[in-house]
Amino acid sequence: MRNGKKRVATFQDLVLALHEYWRDQGCVIFEPYDVEKGAGTFNPATFFGCLGPDPWRVAYIEPSRRPTDGRYGENPIRLRLHHQYQVILKPPPPDIQDLYLGSLEYVGIELRDHDVKFSEDDWESPTLGAWGVGWQVWLDEMEITQFTYFQQMGGMDLDPVSVELTYGLERIAIFLQGVESAFELNWSADVKYGEIWHEKERQFSIYNFERADVERIRKMFELAEAEAKACLEAGLVFPAYDHTLHCSHLFNVLDARGAISVAERESYIARIRELARGCAKGYLKLLEECRARVLA
Amino acid sequence: MPEFLLEVGTEELPALDAPVLARALGDKLAQVLKEERLGFSGMEIHWTPRRLAVLVRGLAERQADLVEEVRGPAVAVGLDPQGNPTQAALGFLRKYGASPQDLKRKVVGEKEYLFLEVRTPGKPAREVLVGIIPDLLRSLPCRKTMRWDSSGVAFLRPIRWLVCLLDGEVLSVRYGNLTADRVTRGHRFFGPRELVLNSPAEYVEKLREARVIADPGERERMIRDAAKGVEGEHGVRALWTEELLGILVGSLEWPSPVLGKFPSEFLDLPAPVIVAVLHEEGKFVPFARNGEPAPVFLGFRDGKEDEKGYVRKGYERVVKARLRDARFFFENDLKRPLAERVLDLREIVYEARLGSVWDKVQRIREICKHLVDSLGLDGEQGTLLDRAAFLCKADLTTEMVREFPELQGVMGGIYARHSGEPEEVAVAIEEYLLPRTRADELPESTLGTVLSLADKLDTVMGAILIGEVPTGSRDPYGIRRAANALISLILRKGLVVDLFSTIDAALELYPQIPEGRDAGTVKGFLVERLRHIIRDDFGIPHDIAEAVLAVPRGDFLGALERARALASLGRDAALAELAQIFERLRNITKGHELTSFDPELFQQEEERELWREYLKAEGRVRQALANRDFAGALEALLPLGGPLHRYFEKVFVMVEDERIRENRLSFLRALLSLFLEIGDLSVLSV
Repeated sequence: MRNGKKRVATFQDLVLALHEYWRDQGCVIFEPYDVEKGAGTFNPATFFGCLGPDPWRVAYIEPSRRPTDGRYGENPIRLRLHHQYQVILKPPPPDIQDLYLGSLEYVGIELRDHDVKFSEDDWESPTLGAWGVGWQVWLDEMEITQFTYFQQMGGMDLDPVSVELTYGLERIAIFLQGVESAFELNWSADVKYGEIWHEKERQFSIYNFERADVERIRKMFELAEAEAKACLEAGLVFPAYDHTLHCSHLFNVLDARGAISVAERESYIARIRELARGCAKGYLKLLEECRARVLA
Repeated sequence: MPEFLLEVGTEELPALDAPVLARALGDKLAQVLKEERLGFSGMEIHWTPRRLAVLVRGLAERQADLVEEVRGPAVAVGLDPQGNPTQAALGFLRKYGASPQDLKRKVVGEKEYLFLEVRTPGKPAREVLVGIIPDLLRSLPCRKTMRWDSSGVAFLRPIRWLVCLLDGEVLSVRYGNLTADRVTRGHRFFGPRELVLNSPAEYVEKLREARVIADPGERERMIRDAAKGVEGEHGVRALWTEELLGILVGSLEWPSPVLGKFPSEFLDLPAPVIVAVLHEEGKFVPFARNGEPAPVFLGFRDGKEDEKGYVRKGYERVVKARLRDARFFFENDLKRPLAERVLDLREIVYEARLGSVWDKVQRIREICKHLVDSLGLDGEQGTLLDRAAFLCKADLTTEMVREFPELQGVMGGIYARHSGEPEEVAVAIEEYLLPRTRADELPESTLGTVLSLADKLDTVMGAILIGEVPTGSRDPYGIRRAANALISLILRKGLVVDLFSTIDAALELYPQIPEGRDAGTVKGFLVERLRHIIRDDFGIPHDIAEAVLAVPRGDFLGALERARALASLGRDAALAELAQIFERLRNITKGHELTSFDPELFQQEEERELWREYLKAEGRVRQALANRDFAGALEALLPLGGPLHRYFEKVFVMVEDERIRENRLSFLRALLSLFLEIGDLSVLSV
């Protein structure tokens, strides 16, 4: 495998090392998108980037909010907000698995001293109208990456397909730094992860599980949905997509709050999927009209 | 004789799919070789997560020649009166390059035709194989397919290499973007990336040198042996499931055991939780000591021993974190007593047309009430059963069951105990999902058994009444499995219960029944399942199953017992005599209602003799039936054979005199219905 291993002592070093590695593979190094979202997949660089015929390689870090995963900062690894490192390779090269394993070596994981398994896990996002086939990658039986060959996005068949790599950064950092809990991680040489995030985890858990005002959040959902629809009608797919992301997050808050019945759940998901599909369609139309690349 | 190797190299296949695909590859190749007239002496199937391989031994060098008879013109057209070929026949001969002495004559239908035996020489195996491999690969049955490049090829996971060797020769097979070669790959981390094969024969051993065990049976032995080693050394017993073993065999190319420990402070978690945590995702083998979980587990690293102990440390950290998570769920769940959670079930949809889980619970309670009466449980048991029914689904709202769905029921029992419910209630909840299949273990307690019966009956009835009757392999609601489990429960627990009357009584619980569906469909479906189960699981011969189910009764256990009574007689001569005469009895009384008869109107001695035997038999049969002594009832019927035989020899039933005729028919009909208490003997093959 590849040489040039890094000494990755801190959380931020890990991010920088991955940036370097994937930059050298020809990726655009993108930024997290500044709208709340549950996973890096929702970043427009992935959602739109996977659509259409043009090759696209991108890598970025994405703080991902999952209200139901909050544990008031009391669980070492389950977090309301965790950091994903996301890579999209479209089309995927035939040695994609080796390329991925090379990135683990690059950040300092000696694969021959550990146990790496690719274990079946097909991924699906009903809200994005997306699904793919792939694995969870387990390092000593700890899940560190979701590896997916996307087959559909926004309800559209993908041709070419893309590979999405989603690294769970906290888990990998815990492994590298040999600590027991995300909060003990060194973010930088002087600052702990917990110093930045612990109180936020506690407060957001209280908010999401106990305090979020269900009626107001429902209203906010309605407003964001109306705004997204209006944008779609005006052919403004990117603003429409921002509001779709708002909808998705507000739905997650309602879910964590226990405010959504099973029957309602389906209809909420269908409403968001409808918006995502509208965005995907609008984007493809845009590509056709411009006859040029409009990069995500 | 040549050997042939086909290896399909893939990215990691799902662990439980790989064996299915490997078998399909072998079966389909064998089938195609047969169709192509290429004989072979043996076939080996190998597979790992990254490869499916077939090794064919003793393959024919070439196809057998194909000899076909080809029909030409009719003799009348093809030969002139002197027997010489006409222009038509000469044309036919030219077409196949044959001469007149090759012609044969053969009659087809009314006419005689000229025939030629045409021999097509077989092609070399190499040529045939190159043609069939791509179609073979395309035909593999994938549960789900994906694309990974622009070739248009689809499979369960990406195919990355192909080996196609006929002895030392690479066959030039192309599939998608791949060209077959002689290069396979070793273990991902401990073998060479490229491994050149000189011949098919060295496949297994070359892979072994490259840290890959191609034979799944050998991998299974390695895994089992490792667990046995731990059992011996630590005085513990491995808690295997078929699935866990299958996943391990299917996800490792070289199983290397790693023994881990977890802190004993977690041993205060309920045992099923600890087992579920370790079983999760098919990762670790749990162990028990004296029936209680032991704080050790066995994991398997792929490829090589864990010399530095890093892997063990990693496993232990993961297990500890998961146990800590489970404790978080457990402690949270305990904050609300089970009874308080029941109302939340209104929020969980069971089925759009059948309402919420709360609605299901109400139906289960009603069915339980009916069963309490028919099974003769006392009032106290009835109260406890109702409490168990009320609580049985409440664990669906707990975090533990959401995280570990396989703990449903078991967790409910544990939480019931913690909520201060009576022990009988807790046990019933713990057990009521058993048996999950017809071969699964059974509930031990009476209340668990009755609750299981009620829950399954509701599942089956509800689905069938809304029209979801399973057809062929389509059974989205798992009704067949639920019905099998329900019937298996009744038969194996020996439950005397009239299912039909329970179904009739429960019918009013399903208000949204579409027009035209009634209890009959449910009963018919269950009787059909019963027929299968007594045949397949209880070894009842086909004809006996038919005989006892000719008159369907809600007493399913009775059907099995009747069948056993019949089977225990074997092919007894008296039974054979009865069976032969039975059809006459059945045919002659066809359409005749069961009415009273008057012995005064009997005219012949044979009638009176049969009547006297009937009177004796009837009393004994009814008595035996009341005691569920079906063998006794059958025995009481046997002496009727002789008199019945003489009756049909001497008595003419269908006489002119309507009074006499009707009386005779009524008597015979009564006799028939007595026999039918056991079964329709006419379908017995004796």
